[in-house]
Amino acid sequence: MSKLQQALESGRFVVTGEIGPPKGVDLDKCLHDAEMLREHVTAINVTDLQSAVLRIGSLAVSARLVERGLEPVYQLTCRDRNRLALQSDLLSAWALGIENALCLTGDHPILGDHTEAKPVYDLDSVQLLKAASTLNQGHDIAGHELESVPGLFLGAVVTPAAEPMEPQIIKMKKKTEAGARFFQTQAIYEPEEFEHFMNQVQGFRVPVIAGIVILKSAAMARFMNANVAGISVPESIIGEMEETAKDDRKKKAVEISTRVIRQVKPFCQGVHIMPLGWDDLVPEIIKEAELIPQRR
Amino acid sequence: MHATIQKPIDEILGYLKPDEQVFVVGCGNCAAKCHSGGEPETEEMAERLRQRGVDIAGWACTSSGVSLCKLSIVKKMLTEEHKSETEQTDSFLILACGQGIHTVMDATDGGMVHPGCDTIFGGETVNDNFITEYCSLCGECIVEYTGGLCPVTLCAKSLLNGPCGGAKDGKCEVDRNRDCGWQLIYDRLRALGHLGEMEKYVMPKNNSRWSRPRSLTIGEGEATFKSLSGERKVASHA
Repeated sequence: MSKLQQALESGRFVVTGEIGPPKGVDLDKCLHDAEMLREHVTAINVTDLQSAVLRIGSLAVSARLVERGLEPVYQLTCRDRNRLALQSDLLSAWALGIENALCLTGDHPILGDHTEAKPVYDLDSVQLLKAASTLNQGHDIAGHELESVPGLFLGAVVTPAAEPMEPQIIKMKKKTEAGARFFQTQAIYEPEEFEHFMNQVQGFRVPVIAGIVILKSAAMARFMNANVAGISVPESIIGEMEETAKDDRKKKAVEISTRVIRQVKPFCQGVHIMPLGWDDLVPEIIKEAELIPQRR
Repeated sequence: MHATIQKPIDEILGYLKPDEQVFVVGCGNCAAKCHSGGEPETEEMAERLRQRGVDIAGWACTSSGVSLCKLSIVKKMLTEEHKSETEQTDSFLILACGQGIHTVMDATDGGMVHPGCDTIFGGETVNDNFITEYCSLCGECIVEYTGGLCPVTLCAKSLLNGPCGGAKDGKCEVDRNRDCGWQLIYDRLRALGHLGEMEKYVMPKNNSRWSRPRSLTIGEGEATFKSLSGERKVASHA
């Protein structure tokens, strides 16, 4: 059983982190980023061709984390693989010692650096979760028996700040029924809205790990508000950033992240910190938010 | 309706060998409605090519409202009505969809063809100036569960079990001017009081029904659909 599964099932508040595989074959930088998180998180998400930009695969990088005694959350999107490849990669992941898999739809290729690529989406994220659950039960989705069986801990994503929220909640319910055992969310900046969302999904009885994106500047907030679906940074937070001198921004970023974590903590089962390059701030945020160190 | 757009004239000229004699063929139905290959466009294409030095054997277009993809009509038009011109021509330039191109091949006993149009989609003619796509011809209709709106077509990712989370203000992540297909489905199911349909799990598509080429054999009171998923015979009056 993965450490993430153990922690969530024991009701312990978890912290997860995230690394992005590079566009190339040298893993030193991203493995260094992962090492920075070692003492502070239970598991580390490894993104799968994030933003539809070609990079080295999440399977390879996840396997490297396993070798180093770090626990990956292997991200797998429906964008680039048909149902044969998706199921095969899930089996490969388990054989490589990867225990957590996060099943996602995936950004459309038009948003990335291969805009002429054929979008696959042979399965959607709900169907992928169902396929992965079926593998865990010893069969493929065509109904054929496996010779040996994985035991993947399956996760999914949800966007609590989506407008309207109801379709997201309906889909979250379908993902839960399809086998999602934990959820990680899009970045949260409005704890009251998040509380409202959590009240509506209490009945699903599935752990929710709230997404925390470290805010680097007011410009970044405005960009996300305009361009990233499901992210809404309130004007008050943008104002705080604007009034902060450039040299003090990291301090302010820690302050904002810490405050949001403290506010969402009563309503969720963990936080997923996405540092987007400011990995060095993660230990301080965890300390300031009074989150129990995750390891040792 | 098979929507088509004309290829640029330079692309078409690039297909033709020096001294190649060409007969231009248009379609009186879909291509006529798209103004890509009706009678005026067919005549005009013959003239434009002639002005650029192409040897034009002649041109023909099916009657208004008659599709070029009907073999018997095209055979009569090309091998009887325009016999003298088509007998001597080296090739046919087709201003119609891909089905029309093949129909001309069949009608002329394997004649040499050039595409004059790009076939872009099958759609609804909303009005004379607007055609848009609501069906992807997948062979397995699921709009019973989506209020009549096809997610395979209207969702950029063809998702079957709800929106991806990439929409913003009801617009799709691939283009902020384009409606999120699942937002449209959600709004419609809600208005119909059928939101419960969205909670149902929709199985992955049977892509073998989508395998090409497919055929339909129509008999007395029955029809047989053939694809990689096998033969599916249905009685039309049962």
